Amino acid sequence: MEHEKCYIYAPPESNSEERPSKRVRTSKLQSQPQLTERLSTYREVWAQQEERIQQTLENADSVTQENIVKFVAASTTSEGEPQASIPTGLIVAGPSIASHGLFFSRLGQNIRSETDSAYAVLTSGECPNLKTLLKCLVKKITSLKDDGDEHDDLINSGFSARNGPKLLDFDLGHVQMWQDKNETQSIVVAIQDSEAFDTAVLVELVDTVHSWLDRLPFILLFGIATSAENFEDRMSGKSLRYLDGQKFDVTQSDVIIEKLFSVTVANADARLRIGPTLSHRLLDRQKDHVQNVQDFVDGLKYAHMSHFYASYPSIFLRKGSTYTDLPSEAFEAVRNLPSFRRWIETLLQDGNASEVRTLLQSDQSLHEEIAKHIKLGQTALTSLSQAAILFHNIRESLQISPPFRLSTIWTRAAAGDLSGSPLYRETMLSLKKASSDKLKQLLISMERLNMEGSSIDWAKFNQNLLKLVQNSDGSGPLRSQDDVRNDSVRTTVIAQKVLLSKHKAALSEQDKAYSELVAQLHDEIDRYMTSAFIDPQAMFLSEIFMYDLKSPHVEVFQPKPRFAIERALATPHDYLGCSCCDRNRTEEEGVLAATQPATAILYQLFLESGTLINASDLWSAFEAIVEEGSEESDPKTSALIQRALAELRYLGLVKPSRKKTDHIAKIMWKGL
Amino acid sequence: MRTCGRGRVNSLARSVVDASVRLFSLSALHVNILIPTIMLPDEILDTLQSEFPCRESQIQQLTAFYSEHHLPSPPLLVAHGLTATGKSSIIKSLLELSSLPHAVIRCRECITGRHLLERIVASCLDALDTFGDERIDRKRFARTENLSSLAVNLQRLLEGRNKFVLVLDGIDKQREAPPTMMAALGRFREVIPNLSIILISNLPLTQALYTPSTPHIHFAPYPRSSLLTILAAKPPKIFLTPPSTEKFPDYTPDLAAEDDAWLWGRFTSAVYDSLSKHTGRDLVNFRIAALKLWRPFVEPVEAGTFGTRDFSRLMVNRRHLFQGEEGVLDRIIASESTLTNPTGTVPPTPKRNLRTLAHDLPYYATHLLIAAYLASYNPSRTDVTYFMKHTDKRKNKRRVHTSSGTGAMKSKHRKISRHLLTPSPFPLDRLLAIFRALLDDAGVPQSADLYTQVATLTSMRLLVKAGGAGSADPLDTGAKWRVNFGWEYARGLGRTVGLEVGEYLVGGVD
Ligand SMILES: Nc1ncnc2c1ncn2[C@@H]1O[C@H](COP(=O)(O)OP(=O)(O)OP(=O)(O)O)[C@@H](O)[C@H]1O
Ligand SMILES: [Mg+2]
Repeated sequence: MEHEKCYIYAPPESNSEERPSKRVRTSKLQSQPQLTERLSTYREVWAQQEERIQQTLENADSVTQENIVKFVAASTTSEGEPQASIPTGLIVAGPSIASHGLFFSRLGQNIRSETDSAYAVLTSGECPNLKTLLKCLVKKITSLKDDGDEHDDLINSGFSARNGPKLLDFDLGHVQMWQDKNETQSIVVAIQDSEAFDTAVLVELVDTVHSWLDRLPFILLFGIATSAENFEDRMSGKSLRYLDGQKFDVTQSDVIIEKLFSVTVANADARLRIGPTLSHRLLDRQKDHVQNVQDFVDGLKYAHMSHFYASYPSIFLRKGSTYTDLPSEAFEAVRNLPSFRRWIETLLQDGNASEVRTLLQSDQSLHEEIAKHIKLGQTALTSLSQAAILFHNIRESLQISPPFRLSTIWTRAAAGDLSGSPLYRETMLSLKKASSDKLKQLLISMERLNMEGSSIDWAKFNQNLLKLVQNSDGSGPLRSQDDVRNDSVRTTVIAQKVLLSKHKAALSEQDKAYSELVAQLHDEIDRYMTSAFIDPQAMFLSEIFMYDLKSPHVEVFQPKPRFAIERALATPHDYLGCSCCDRNRTEEEGVLAATQPATAILYQLFLESGTLINASDLWSAFEAIVEEGSEESDPKTSALIQRALAELRYLGLVKPSRKKTDHIAKIMWKGL
Repeated sequence: MRTCGRGRVNSLARSVVDASVRLFSLSALHVNILIPTIMLPDEILDTLQSEFPCRESQIQQLTAFYSEHHLPSPPLLVAHGLTATGKSSIIKSLLELSSLPHAVIRCRECITGRHLLERIVASCLDALDTFGDERIDRKRFARTENLSSLAVNLQRLLEGRNKFVLVLDGIDKQREAPPTMMAALGRFREVIPNLSIILISNLPLTQALYTPSTPHIHFAPYPRSSLLTILAAKPPKIFLTPPSTEKFPDYTPDLAAEDDAWLWGRFTSAVYDSLSKHTGRDLVNFRIAALKLWRPFVEPVEAGTFGTRDFSRLMVNRRHLFQGEEGVLDRIIASESTLTNPTGTVPPTPKRNLRTLAHDLPYYATHLLIAAYLASYNPSRTDVTYFMKHTDKRKNKRRVHTSSGTGAMKSKHRKISRHLLTPSPFPLDRLLAIFRALLDDAGVPQSADLYTQVATLTSMRLLVKAGGAGSADPLDTGAKWRVNFGWEYARGLGRTVGLEVGEYLVGGVD
């Protein structure tokens, strides 16, 4: 294709009159009314959620952190005898690399506050080799606890107080001088992402630290994403001998996510809810792609932000906003909500025409209705969340397998497809069959949860159950009449089929009383749950108190760069929207038209070919399309194909091949 | 020394006291040598011989060279020997006892050649400050950039002083050492007559030094008998808390010490013969292994099951300690469980679940890793047969398997199972293609999350970039990748998502 050394490129003259002139918006429509108010409402709502998140995160790995702090404290006490090996903590922090930074900074705070230690975190990015690593370490350690200017003096001049030889800036002698002054009990060095470090650097670090161990009380902590064994395999035998320590497991991130979900989305008290579709997406992404607590929190935050930014009616979530605060546009916006229309239609069907009229005409009465319905909706969602928690609790206490997470149950409930589902029926059936010991656990845990909102008197049930159990003379737990498992046990013992029916009749007095209790409980719970598990999306104003749009979330958090490029090249019409290459018009699939951009044409030819592409074949095919009909070859075509090829190469789709002359190699395929 | 004036002796003695006091703060081992007078060479010899048994000739040679202040020492001496043969400790003790002005530099603490040079000057200054009576003006020694300025600085420093010994410990392991360093060190004496250098290294330095006739002292590796003698010097206790005096009134501490020594001696020879002979013969390794096994070994004695002298019965009871490898494996986390196995039987070799993840990976990340494994171990030309849709995988597998193992081929080449070879690199698109084939195209969106995962797995070193180190972009299309885990791990990953990796592997795994 490079048969000409150079050529003159004449760009196609642009015929400017064809381009439609831009239309200027003339009306002075305020695109974002009351933005500041919504912003402040958002801040209020999010601050509350954020506080819960912070608290959960802090509690989540507090046990592990405590253990590590204890380990550090214990390692410092052995005074006197020179240590043979470096105390080492292997912190198995799991594959959610992005949250390790947070963990280690929290750990640093704990270690500093609870022990007399210096603490420095090193990451692979700042330590490409031993020298930089030590430099970084010296800087981080010596800048701790010191008064600012004193420290500068120390670093810059080394021994210059005595005007002698300077210490080089990676000499741990700096740390020793610092240690002589501060006399900390230990110097904790945390290697945040040990996997990403060069193994050789780690080995040398261990060697150096060991050599200094008789003067500096080092403790090493390694953050590990895979496993402790894996880490040991990487280190050489000698370094392993220098290390001696313990393993610490950090809470798995899916457990933390689950906790976060239950305090934020499924919390009983939330002004704005994240809907089931979006929650499902957030959770699925965690399960399938990333494991990153921060990302989950970002997703939630973004959802809150988009709701208050993009939806004007969200202004009604503002606390204490009176009718006079709101312009009529706000009510107009509400009247445009689909749920408003649905509601109006049902009102009409019920023959409340006058009410509908006032709602459509009077802003004031609409305002009252909105306030009422938002409260209603929020209460409904609160009881839905509580019912979901109760449901989860039942399954957990009765140990029904398979175990379902609260997040799963909540999303199903919020999507409105839990009540009446097989899952629901199965759970309620198990409740009926529950024996007294399991039931007791359930009641105790329910009492501990202390849920308001449900009318069920757990304490009373618990007392009744206790009485029954105390009165019972048998050794085993009480059984309800629906408990079939009981029969099967007996039949195997006696090996008689007939006994099965006999058993039911011979229910003891206590068992009968127990069965009654269970049935009563079952009915109450059932009644409560069926009333709580409504479909929130069907409610009036659900658009305001529930945010469930997937589109901006997906585009922001899960972009598809490669797909976008491939689509743009394969079907340029999708993006250009021009009339000349509209496929629907020609009604032929995959038609290559000369009107398409040259790169797109070439790309589609490229898609049809194999791994090695003959450049001249490509050229003639291209020519055939571009110069439909005309016999002579146009010099412009040559320029077009050269540029198109260069662009494909720039995108990384092809590269020159050395395997065959005049061929290029295909290195990317569509749809991967 | 006897010719010196009174004041000089006094100051010297004071500095010795200073030095030994400093020594004490460092280790409690040397309590018995707190003598505020200068030791005679014979005394030094005796102290060293008793502290370091089995090193008679080396100690003798060294004391002859370095114990006397007024006799000349060799300008350069090489002490070489394998690891843990006592080079560093003996030379250090000797110099401290002889109270010669000296400086010991550990080369493994010096990160660059320049660092070493600066360290040498600084340590010499420090040493002279502690050994001499007046402070040296340090201004003149602010910089030591290269070997010649080292020579100049040392010359200025030692001018008009007595003998000074400079020890460079582990000189053969010096990082980024200047190429001419060894040769220069050999000729320092020509400009600095009162400097004598000791080089400690693992290998003899005859080649590197260019100065013939440099004395070498070889520290030979300890034979079995020496190792046992050295260890016997410090037997650990059987009873961490001595048995109550009421129950055993006649079990005196002396008697206990005798028992400790007796049992320890037998025990160490058993450990040596069964384990250390084959694994780590050097003193440090041997001592670590013996100490590691000691507690579990004497556990029945402590519990009262056996007497302190029931060695043979103890051996039978605790034989699993000597049969397993736990005692000599280097681990960071001490695995107590296998050592303190109460049943006397051989424990089944602990199936260490190597390279497993402690935490689960996300679903697609697992598939990406499996795809990467297959891309590394399957030749790319077989991809069509294995991963094309609408082909019977099993049938294809069989065909490929048998055709590769025909009799004629077998006799010529011994076939190595693929999964034992090193993984071969693959481009990213092949990984993604196999990934989609494995998922049976369940419609995984082409989102950026997939690329994020490749990057994450790379920073976890489960995937590594093969070559193409020049570009900083981790997702550069030209780049190739390789897996960094083995068959066991891949199979384990497959099982977590219900996928039998062996079915997709060319040649299968048997
Ligand atoms: N003959 C001996 N008697 C008692 N202890 C000894 C003897 N030889 C060596 N050791 C001990 O062995 C340990 C290792 O010795 P040392 O560090 O001197 O070895 P090295 O030869 O310098 O090894 P490397 O080449 O690895 O630096 C020290 O704790 C030392 O006390
Ligand atoms: Mg040494």
